[in-house]
Amino acid sequence: MNDMRVETRSQKIIELLSLGESRDRLLAFEVPKDALTWTRFCGSLLLVLLILLFFSGIFMAFYYSPVPGTAYDSVDFALFKIPFGSVVKGIHHYSWNLLLMVMGIHLGRSLILGSYKAPRQMVWVTGVIILFFVPLFIITGDLLPWDQTGYWSTQVRLSIISSVPFIGKSAARFLLGGSLTGVVALTRFYIFHILLLPGFLVLFLAMHFHFIRHRGLSEPLGTDPVFRPRIPFYPNLVNRWLFLFIIVSVVLAIISRHWTPPLGDPADPTDSSYIPKPEWWVLFLNQLVSVFKGGLAVLGSTLIPAGLAGLLIGLPFMDRSPYRHPAGRWKILLSAAILSGFIIGLSIMGYLEHFVLVKH
Amino acid sequence: MITGVPLATYAIFPALKDNPGSWIDFGSVENLELDNFNMLSYEFMVKDGWIILPQRGFVWARADAEKQIKIFSSTCTHLACNVIWQEETQEFICPCHSGRFNAQGMPVAGPPSRPLSVLEHKVTDGNLLVFMKV
Repeated sequence: MNDMRVETRSQKIIELLSLGESRDRLLAFEVPKDALTWTRFCGSLLLVLLILLFFSGIFMAFYYSPVPGTAYDSVDFALFKIPFGSVVKGIHHYSWNLLLMVMGIHLGRSLILGSYKAPRQMVWVTGVIILFFVPLFIITGDLLPWDQTGYWSTQVRLSIISSVPFIGKSAARFLLGGSLTGVVALTRFYIFHILLLPGFLVLFLAMHFHFIRHRGLSEPLGTDPVFRPRIPFYPNLVNRWLFLFIIVSVVLAIISRHWTPPLGDPADPTDSSYIPKPEWWVLFLNQLVSVFKGGLAVLGSTLIPAGLAGLLIGLPFMDRSPYRHPAGRWKILLSAAILSGFIIGLSIMGYLEHFVLVKH
Repeated sequence: MITGVPLATYAIFPALKDNPGSWIDFGSVENLELDNFNMLSYEFMVKDGWIILPQRGFVWARADAEKQIKIFSSTCTHLACNVIWQEETQEFICPCHSGRFNAQGMPVAGPPSRPLSVLEHKVTDGNLLVFMKV
C-alpha cells in the first residue's frame, strides 16, 4: 500500500518533469556483464575520483581568495581552522595523485589488451586527451595556495614553457597575463583551474562516454562475442559506482585526516635557499630537460614530449591489424615496454638526483 | 571575427604591455666588499594589473679595487632558480639542477648554456643604481 503511494508520487514527478521517455531509455539500457569484472575497475575508479575532485574543489573554493597577499592565508585558514578542512583539501590532493596513477593503469590495460583498435579508436583518442588535461590542472592548481612549492615549481615550469621554440615565450606571457607571477597571473590560473579546464574536461569526458556507448566495451579476449550476457545499466552498474564512491571517499577521508595534505611556507621570491623538487609524475620530463643541453635543449623540452604525445594519440591509426591478443602483438608491446622503460629510468634518475644525491 | 577578435584582445591585452623597468638604489658603493660577490636584496613597487605590489629579489654585485663594478642577475639561465655564489670554489651554483657559472658569469657545468645576465648599472652621488626590469 505504502509502496504504491511512493510509486505514484514518483511517477507524478517524472511526468511533471517530462522525464518518462528518459526513464524508459535508462531502464532499457544494457551493458555487457563483463563491465562488472575487476579488470574493468580502473574506469569506474577514475569516474569516482573525478567526481570527488569536482566536489572537493567546489568546497575548497568557498574559502579561497585568489590574491597573492591573502591566497596563502585563505588556504591555511580552510585547512587548519575549518572543521574537516584537511579532509576536503586532502581528498582533492590524494585524488589527483591517485587519478594520475590509475589513468596510467587504465591506459596500460587498453594498450596491452588492444582495446584501442577499431572500432574504438576514438575512445582511445579522447582518453589520451583527457590524460593530457591532468598536467594542465596540476600546473594551474599548484600555484593557487601561493606557497613556496607552488611558486617555485611554477617558475621552473614557466621557464620550460618559455624554452619551447617560437610560441613558448608568448604562451608563457599569455598564461601569466604579463611578465610577473602576481595577481593577474594568479587570477588567470584560478579561472583556468576552476572554470575553463573543467569545462573542456567535461566535454571530452562526454565524448569518451559517447564513443564507449556507441562502440561498446571491448570484448574480453578469448570469449565468443556473439554470446555475451548483458545486464541492466541501472541499477546493476550504477549501484556498483555508488558503492565504489562511498568506499573511496571514506578511505581518502581517513587518509587525509591522518596525513594532512601538504601546505608549505608562504611563497617568497627572495628566498635563495628554497630548492623546488619536481613531483613524481614530472620527474622524467624534468630529467629530459636537464639531459639535453645547449642547442639540443629543444629536444628535451619540446620534440621528445611532443613525439611521445603524438605516438600515444596516433596509436590506433598506426597499429591497424584487427588482432588483439598480446601474444600476437609483441612488436607493439615491446616498443611500448621499451618507451615505458625509458620513462621509468629517467624518473629514477630524476629521483636520485633530486631526492637522494642532493649535494650542498 | 566580430566576437573572436574583441574576446581574444580582452584576454591577451595585459600580456602585451611590457614593464618599463626602473633604476633601483642599492645604497653606497663603499658598502660593497671588494673583490667578492655581494648579495644585494631589493624591494621595489611594481604595478601588477590593478594593484601595486612589492617585487623582491636579489642581485650579485662585485666591485674591484679600481671601482669597476659588475652586477649579475641571480636568475639561473636554465630554469630560473636563484644562483648562489660559493666563495670557496669561486663559482655560482644553481641548487635546482647543479648548474655552475664562473666568476665571469659563464656557464661551466650542468645544464645552463647561456651566461648569467649582466644588469646595467650606474653610480650616482656615490650610490649604486641598477636598472631592473621584471
